[in-house]
Amino acid sequence: MKLQEILKNLSDLKADYISLREVHTKNLSMSVRNEVFEGLSTSEDHGLMVEVMMNGQFAYGATNSFELEDIRECALKAKNAALEASRFSLSKFTLDERPATVGEYNSPGKKGLESFNPKEATELLMEISKTMKVHDHIINRSAYMQVSDMQTHFVATNGADIKQNINRSAVAMSAVASSELGNQRRSFGDDQSTQLGMENWNKERLLTHAKRIADEALELLNAEECPTETMDLLLAPDQLYLQIHESIGHPLELDRILGDERNYAGWSFVKPADFGTLKYGSPLMNVTFDPTVHGQFASYFADDIGNKATREFLIKDGVLLRGLGSLESQKRLNLPGVASQRATSWNRAPIDRMANVNLEPGTSSLEEMIKSVKRGIFMQTNRSWSIDDYRNKFQFGCEYGRLIEDGKLTKLVKNPNYRGITAPFWNQLKMVGDKSTFEVGGLGNCGKGEPNQVIFVGHASPVCLFTNIEVFGGGK
Amino acid sequence: MKALESSYLEIFAKQIFNDLKSDEALTLNFTGEETLFSRLSKAKVRQVTNLQQAFIDFVFVKGNKVLTFNMPFRANESDVTLALKKLNQSREWIAALPEDPYLVRPKFYGVTKEENLNQLPNNEEMMGQVLDIAGNVDLAGVFSSGDVVRATINSEGQFHWFKTRNFYLDYSLYNDKQKAVKSLYAGSDWDNTELKRNIKDAEHKLSLMNRDSKKVARGDYRVYLAPSAVNELLGTLSWGGVSMSAHQQGNGSLKDLWQAKKKMSPKFTLKEDYSLGLAPRFNDAGEVSPAELMLIEKGEFKNFLVSTRTANEYKLESNFASDWESMRSPVISTGDLSRDDIYKELGTGLYLSDLHYLNWSDRETARVTGMTRYACFWVENGEIASPIEDLRFDESYYSMFGDALERITNFSEISPSTGSYFQRDVGGTRTPGLLLSNFKFTL
Repeated sequence: MKLQEILKNLSDLKADYISLREVHTKNLSMSVRNEVFEGLSTSEDHGLMVEVMMNGQFAYGATNSFELEDIRECALKAKNAALEASRFSLSKFTLDERPATVGEYNSPGKKGLESFNPKEATELLMEISKTMKVHDHIINRSAYMQVSDMQTHFVATNGADIKQNINRSAVAMSAVASSELGNQRRSFGDDQSTQLGMENWNKERLLTHAKRIADEALELLNAEECPTETMDLLLAPDQLYLQIHESIGHPLELDRILGDERNYAGWSFVKPADFGTLKYGSPLMNVTFDPTVHGQFASYFADDIGNKATREFLIKDGVLLRGLGSLESQKRLNLPGVASQRATSWNRAPIDRMANVNLEPGTSSLEEMIKSVKRGIFMQTNRSWSIDDYRNKFQFGCEYGRLIEDGKLTKLVKNPNYRGITAPFWNQLKMVGDKSTFEVGGLGNCGKGEPNQVIFVGHASPVCLFTNIEVFGGGK
Repeated sequence: MKALESSYLEIFAKQIFNDLKSDEALTLNFTGEETLFSRLSKAKVRQVTNLQQAFIDFVFVKGNKVLTFNMPFRANESDVTLALKKLNQSREWIAALPEDPYLVRPKFYGVTKEENLNQLPNNEEMMGQVLDIAGNVDLAGVFSSGDVVRATINSEGQFHWFKTRNFYLDYSLYNDKQKAVKSLYAGSDWDNTELKRNIKDAEHKLSLMNRDSKKVARGDYRVYLAPSAVNELLGTLSWGGVSMSAHQQGNGSLKDLWQAKKKMSPKFTLKEDYSLGLAPRFNDAGEVSPAELMLIEKGEFKNFLVSTRTANEYKLESNFASDWESMRSPVISTGDLSRDDIYKELGTGLYLSDLHYLNWSDRETARVTGMTRYACFWVENGEIASPIEDLRFDESYYSMFGDALERITNFSEISPSTGSYFQRDVGGTRTPGLLLSNFKFTL
């Protein structure tokens, strides 16, 4: 039965508002390790969430059965739960928080799951694995691919009707070198997911990266330990994407600022009064929320309550302008937000989330940035992250480091880490790379919420230079 | 929800097994739940969700090849149609795949059925009691209750079924200074008096947080890690620390212990112990783990977790770990430090109730970083002086469970898992408190 018919069928419940959100996801993943096929796995998830508002309180019922009687039971449970919970409501909402949007979105991916060929995919991963076999010290060579197709259909009693079809794909790889000097890992692709399909898998490019990371893992075995000192820090986009995620994205979530996430994800150092005034970073810092970038990992037409997405500046010239919050959070705080009420799937209620949160490019070339550094370090590829409840004190580790001395890249160093505090760190942003250094990435496993939800987000960034950062190595 | 009744799975599985050809075998892993989730903030309801879901993972073996697929389970005829369609596509795809030299074949590992289905008050009643008691405090968290199922059935006749009905209120209380105390009320028997005691106890602890916070400078300090903080450390250690495949593949974090180049403290013993009763002993293949498996005994390496696939690859003996080789029911042995003596023995240092957001800072040396969280105090001359401002630490397990380990408490606490990514978790840990002579704070 079509969603509109189901919705009509529920009209006798006499709820103040009902929406139905059907999500049908198909995933496929495959991996090869040391030229041994490790498995092909497919999964399918198909279910429906009923959202009901009664007395200004939203409640949800979710089922992966499409029998009308099961959906009805879900809707009835949601209605009763909303009525019961309305005695204890944290906030009262109205239909203003549910726009009557109509539209459709199709991601630009062409070759999705229907085009999957197991033989071709195996051969590609095998070849990547073989290419990483550059020395006996490379003890582990992993290659991994993932393709997913997600269809959502959202309808509501206010007339909203939105269909979104999103394809995603990614290839990732890693090489571990091992000797009596220890183990070193290099990887590529963990942040490279897009809404493009398998047509985006450029074999030549992937094999070039495979050779490079294996060589670099080997080279790192003999590298010196990263020094412990305060110096300039040049960060590549494959580290910055997570720095942006943890120290810009999460602290700007309005539900954290409201305190809803305190028990699990924590809250934020940002206060409601900071919007429009807080000097979050140096004047070179410009950050946008932009689900309209065609093909980035978290692009969409509208969020999961039907709010149409638009590009917005979160931080402009270093000043905080708006947060990442849904219409519900915007109402509660009386602050501007974005279209970001999103759910992992049909089985979770939508909450405030990031989508594409991007650091806009500046004007400096990579050469200019390196040349400007007397003593510093260039770090690539995240390997470890940790940040506190308020998204203040953080520590990140990277896979690859190279010292910068008197304006030139010099010695390779292993186990590079850095730490700092969010606002001072972004205020130490000294140079922002131009478009030639800009890379578009994403993250498929951002966790948040109780019950827990894992969601995909996009982050794009140029290379950036920070001054006077605390840097240190491994060991004890 | 009928999909959570074992008979539906058995009938469905038989229909699918009947379709198998002579060189084919199949294992079905079933997960299902019927859950109420209520998100709470400021002791009010933010969102409430009633969820019903069930899934089946299929491990399809044909000759020396394997392929896995997954589908929703609805306990009706559409399941069989969809499963057979997927099985046929799998037959087509598997022909194009290479053989798997480390294949784990389905075997008969017996038949077990365990159901713990105590009667609970209805959800509205339980929620009403929580909100009545917490009405005058700033409480944030989640209340969850309902049935959870894990099962595995294969074409060799094996069938294990584990169904439990439980609830948890995972919450924290906050004072005006935004300081917090964390607590958990969980179980399968609802007791309003016990709920009240739990919340009142947390309120009392919160009152200790009203003093001004002390800003502790970076450096090395004596610390006491409460059981919940130790539970966090175990969580990160489970991430490659005790996995044999992680060590063989260069991603392990206790390599020096495994290779007997280092030891931990003779006071330290860690084992998997399923007598905790929070997790089923069977894994996804239906293999039944030993009731007890020593991992680290008196500071020395005994066993890492070895799945059958890892055993096949490295020619080792399997101890029927899960594919991820993470701990499912870990227990750290207790020592002789009594509850009454903790502050006195700590003397001057930090009392850490919880740790937060842990991650490896250097796997090679088992060094981990993270933050203090919730009720953490500066203790002076055996008495609580003040709460602290949050601190970042960066320390090695060889120090925390080794050189710096002075005393272990004579009691331990169970921490049931409250994770709910994709579905509600089962499992948990039992950990004591640890008194350390030295702990490094960096920021």
